[in-house]
Amino acid sequence: MRSCLHIVFLSASMLLFALIATSEQAQTARVNAPAPAFTATDSHGQAHSLDHYKGKYVVLEWHNQGCPFTRKHYESGNMQALQKQWTEKGVVWFTVISSAEGKEGYVTPSQENEYMAKMHASPTAALLDPEGKLGRLYNAKTTPNMFVIDPQGKLIYSGAIDDRPSTDLDDVKGADNFVSDALSAAMSGKPVANPHTRSYGCSVKYRD
Amino acid sequence: MRLLRTIAAVAFALAAGAPLFGASSAADLPHVHVQLIAPDAQFHPGQNNAGLYFKLESGWHVYWKNPGDAGEPPHMKWSLPPGVTAGAILYPVPKRLPLGPLMDFGYEDEVVFPFQVNVSGNSAGGAPTLHAKVDWLVCRGSCIPEKTELEITRPIGQGGGTVEPDQQIWARLANRLPQAPPAGLKIGFVPTSSGFRLTVITGQRETEASFFPSKPDILSNPAPQAVTTTANGLTLDLKKDENLAANPKELTGLLLLSGNRAYELVVPSGAPKPAKAAPLESGPVANTSSVPTTSAPGSAAASPATPAKTSLVQAAFLAFLGGLILNLMPCVFPVLFIKGLSLLQSGAEEKHKLRTHGLVYTLGILVSFWILVGVLLGLRSAGSHLGWGFQFQSPVFLSLMAALLFFLGLSLAGQFEIGLTLTSAGGSLAAKQGYTGSFFTGVLAVIVATPCTAPFMGVALGYALSQTAIVTFAVFTALALGLAAPYLALTLQPAWTRILPRPGAWMEVLKQAVSVPIFGTVIWLAWVIANAYGAMLLAALLVSFLLLAIAGWFLGRWPAKRWATAVAVAFLAIVVVTSVVVPKQLAVSEQAPTQAGSSAGWQPWSADAVSRYQSQGRPVFVDFTASWCLSCQVNERVALGKPEVQKAFADANVVLMRADWTRYDDNITRTLNSFGRSGVPTYALYVPGESQPRLLPEVLTPGIVTNALAGLTHGSTQTAVSSSKQQ
Repeated sequence: MRSCLHIVFLSASMLLFALIATSEQAQTARVNAPAPAFTATDSHGQAHSLDHYKGKYVVLEWHNQGCPFTRKHYESGNMQALQKQWTEKGVVWFTVISSAEGKEGYVTPSQENEYMAKMHASPTAALLDPEGKLGRLYNAKTTPNMFVIDPQGKLIYSGAIDDRPSTDLDDVKGADNFVSDALSAAMSGKPVANPHTRSYGCSVKYRD
Repeated sequence: MRLLRTIAAVAFALAAGAPLFGASSAADLPHVHVQLIAPDAQFHPGQNNAGLYFKLESGWHVYWKNPGDAGEPPHMKWSLPPGVTAGAILYPVPKRLPLGPLMDFGYEDEVVFPFQVNVSGNSAGGAPTLHAKVDWLVCRGSCIPEKTELEITRPIGQGGGTVEPDQQIWARLANRLPQAPPAGLKIGFVPTSSGFRLTVITGQRETEASFFPSKPDILSNPAPQAVTTTANGLTLDLKKDENLAANPKELTGLLLLSGNRAYELVVPSGAPKPAKAAPLESGPVANTSSVPTTSAPGSAAASPATPAKTSLVQAAFLAFLGGLILNLMPCVFPVLFIKGLSLLQSGAEEKHKLRTHGLVYTLGILVSFWILVGVLLGLRSAGSHLGWGFQFQSPVFLSLMAALLFFLGLSLAGQFEIGLTLTSAGGSLAAKQGYTGSFFTGVLAVIVATPCTAPFMGVALGYALSQTAIVTFAVFTALALGLAAPYLALTLQPAWTRILPRPGAWMEVLKQAVSVPIFGTVIWLAWVIANAYGAMLLAALLVSFLLLAIAGWFLGRWPAKRWATAVAVAFLAIVVVTSVVVPKQLAVSEQAPTQAGSSAGWQPWSADAVSRYQSQGRPVFVDFTASWCLSCQVNERVALGKPEVQKAFADANVVLMRADWTRYDDNITRTLNSFGRSGVPTYALYVPGESQPRLLPEVLTPGIVTNALAGLTHGSTQTAVSSSKQQ
């Protein structure tokens, strides 16, 4: 008699197992899919979790202050202008540094704060990721490499910052900025025209 | 370093000594010596060899035309005198350069990028100077963009002689260009669950290969490329880029085999065919920035497809009707038997109890539909574009389902007693268990019904899945009610139960007979597993059957003994655990297409191939199928495979394609969604000039197919004639 209940229970757990096994999906950053959740610490020691910013647009900017491609956008003032423009509209802007200790672009918290003050950079926060966890989670390949997440937590853009893959400061002017394109389109309820582009720049200096 | 300086010094010495020489042909920048070289002392009218030479410090590299995950190839901008043109630089065979989790393609130590200098015939005499602005990125731990201006001058004439050391550099490095594929080389690729499998046929056993894609964002660059040696070549497994939206119709790139055999080629999709050489990028090298590869297929796939406009009421009605018909589908047949059986046992009970049984059964169906749709919605929102029937694509689920049904079959055949027969043992407990039995009969009906997307259900499901969660729940509820309706009606209208035969000894016989279709279903599931995941997993499944039989023996030999039950439960636990763990170890998940995709006359499906044939003016018929879908198999046998249907296809010059969804395939799921469907069978007829395919019903007869094709035969008489000539 008892065995009947056992069998019913087992069948149910078999089903449950199957459903769990089916729902197992590797978390990767793919456009038009939910952006992988993360928690990271900024240069002021404060933790930021993506979940916390549900309801807001979030921009991730992979950064390496020694990389000539990144420097093009900072020395021309382009990146700072973007940060100012979009954070004023309520966008959360994270500069992410995934350079491992000893590699180009690695900074201590105070070095990063100094750098941001000197460059007049105004991201919401600069996330320090020397272990490369966040970088690998999003498969960030280059600096810069830009990601835009919509208020529902969906990744709506990944790729290059603009259409001029060069280190020439003159190329900033007249470039088609893909991050601004994505944010403008999404905010006016339109689909992002180019949700994925090939990012350009230096490779992210991950830990080996 | 020393060698570098020596070369620079020699270059300078030569430059200084060369007559009519303007600016420098070489430059030294940090980590790099760069130089324009031309091996011949004079430019002859016609094509002349020349190259851009880099000598790099140890560990530093410059990039191939597709630099991989980061980097930029060198660029040249020419200022040329009249009568002289320069061809595009050619890229020698690169190396894979791993950088932590990333992979670049480029060159270390030294490299020559050859190009052709074309001197027009009437420009004899003089000594033209070729002036180039060159920029490049050189990287090691960090990247440095560098640029310089270089010049090279050669007198025009017919004279011989060479310039050292240009000639030495040229002789050493210019032969590293990839070749056009040899005549005997055959190559093709098929999509796999994670990317593509290249099959290379050279006529001999091959042990080494790597493939460098010409374009970024097709393949995952750092993924290892697994080589499997075959009798006449090899196969190479490539992982696709995770953002790749639609499989390409061909892969262009560089195939490197052992012994530095390197071929630049176009790999066609499908079975290996004689390899085509990759088209050379022609024209002078401008500052070609090929970088923002905002792939058109990507945006096309991202734009939401417009599902067929079906109103909610209509969809709910269709779902209800679909649910009703589900009762008659072959997949549900075993469950119908169980239902009939439990109804017979309920026959002796009072009317209100019957009614309760019916309601509990309905509840079982409803609850499992809700759970299923909840999971489906959850997964869908998690970005997995899953469709109906997805659980039958999981080897874990298949194994557990087969094991469950096998165990149930053993019980029905009389090895031991469970469930339904216990209900008639009497008492209030029995009644309670009866309801539990009814509930789980409902659950079972849902699970087994799933893979057969009955007529009408496809539309309703496609509609539901493209709607909000509430609408989806409403439609699925209607579907569940439809599935439950016949049994519910019978229990609510006890008058109808009178036509059922009286309970008696024949019930035991019937119960045992029911095990036959149950075992039949087990065979079908085992066949699906063997077909999709290989013999190893089948073997594991058969072992778990043995364990289940032993568990059943304990239950049957020592009934109602606690220790025997414990032993049986332990066996069952082993089966559950192995069913969950083993498929991940043994499943041949990257296997080449399953059987359904590769039968004669049918090509494997790809969205690109469809559009390619359409652009050639040929109609395309796509059979979206899966080996676990019985309705699909039936349609393929009774309609698609019939000679008159095959003849109709041939007469209309239709390309036949089969999209095999036996294992989960993102592209197929997306394509189905774009039709407003979410399951198989789906039959799509693409007519040239029409943007959307015509969809055929889910139950096919030869007449339906030939009628659908009838309109085409007139439209494409021309092509039909030419195709019949070929035959």
